[in-house]
Amino acid sequence: MEKKIFDLYDREKQLLGEGPQVLGHGDPVELARFARRLFERFAAVVRENEDLTKHADRQERRLFKLNQSLKLQARELDEKKSALEALSDKLAKYLPPQILKAMFAGRHDITVKTQRKRLTVFFSDIKDFTQTAESLQPEALTAYLNEYFSEMTRIALSYGATIDKYIGDAMMVFFGDPESRGEAEDARACVSMALEMQDRLQTLRAVWHARGFQQPFVVRMGINTGFCNVGNFGSDERLSYTIVGGEVNVAARLESKAAPGHILISYETYALVKDLVKVEERELVKMKGIARDIRTFEIIGRSESQLSSEPLIWQHGAGVSICINPGDLSFQDRAELAARLIATAERLSS
Amino acid sequence: MKDLFIDATERTPAVRFRAESCELSLEGESYPEDVAAFYGDVIPVLESWSESDAVRIHVLVRLIYINSSSMKALYRIFDILDNGRELGKTVSIRWCYLVDDDVMQELGEDFKDRFPDLDLFLEVVE
Repeated sequence: MEKKIFDLYDREKQLLGEGPQVLGHGDPVELARFARRLFERFAAVVRENEDLTKHADRQERRLFKLNQSLKLQARELDEKKSALEALSDKLAKYLPPQILKAMFAGRHDITVKTQRKRLTVFFSDIKDFTQTAESLQPEALTAYLNEYFSEMTRIALSYGATIDKYIGDAMMVFFGDPESRGEAEDARACVSMALEMQDRLQTLRAVWHARGFQQPFVVRMGINTGFCNVGNFGSDERLSYTIVGGEVNVAARLESKAAPGHILISYETYALVKDLVKVEERELVKMKGIARDIRTFEIIGRSESQLSSEPLIWQHGAGVSICINPGDLSFQDRAELAARLIATAERLSS
Repeated sequence: MKDLFIDATERTPAVRFRAESCELSLEGESYPEDVAAFYGDVIPVLESWSESDAVRIHVLVRLIYINSSSMKALYRIFDILDNGRELGKTVSIRWCYLVDDDVMQELGEDFKDRFPDLDLFLEVVE
């Protein structure tokens, strides 16, 4: 059967088509019949048109309501988004930024799952913290400790470290997960970070001493490179993104063996940063659960190629406290400081 | 008379016409890209019902959204049903609308006003 083409206005068009012939013919009977059909059709079209107009107005009303509702939803979503951003900002202070970033990008697995990976692990601890704490007012201790952690954290993050946790006055940091620039680069970043931390601590100690902190914090640091288990530990209800393993314990032990104000690294780390630092070998360390004797190296300075970033002047004693880190200064700051130093030298010599 | 079964799409309603029991249903949304093409399949079926010996028809209209062109096509369907009624056939129509859909409710009331002799029953559904 041939498909019938349906035209929405076929009846009206048919009348319009017949019109010229009927009008031209002039037959009164035909005209009267045509006029009646035309009238009936016209009446129907008017009725339909009335209903269509009403329907269109109602649809418009519905669209307006929907639009209002969408605007309300958009506003609510904006509010929720702002609340989530505020929450994210708060969470960011409790989670390693790389993890937070990966979670928001949907790349971070939140199941109890770990993997073995070669990481460079860093531990730091304040020498004689308990005694130091007892000698300070609690408010002062809190202020110095916050300043210390803020500065160390800023430096760690600038090197791309994953800050695992703060344990009392200690810091546990690692490089190589969730982001890695390769084992060697991770180790170099870690050692460079530790060097900058010790540099910064020298400055801070001078500042703190000037403020009345008689025995400012002296920090031990230990670094080791080795295979660790990294990932989410805990249960489905409560997870902790951290690292465990014998090599982690080695880093902690190196920190405890380090001389106050120094950095002690294992041979495994040293092998990756030889061109970066000057070292002196220290005594072997034996550890339960670690088959090898651990060769240790104390960093005594940056290698020649790294010297340009060392402090130009470091002097601390009775009546004088100077530490200048050119790397921390802008060109303008350097020029201003140079002028002040010249003026100071003239005053001293006169 | 032949059966007609058209599945619903995002823009067109499901159409079911069972010739044996003379039941027609239109369910879903109706804003076809080509109204003439879509309803061009439906209207001939109803015209063949009108011309047949069938003595009754049960119609279910359960539309969620209908645009102006589809409404014009629906007028044509109701015209055919009303002609059938004038020929002595029994026509019963259930016009269903969702509980908060005042647009489809008021449109059903308009059709009831325009075709007062048709047995058109408005029914709210969840």
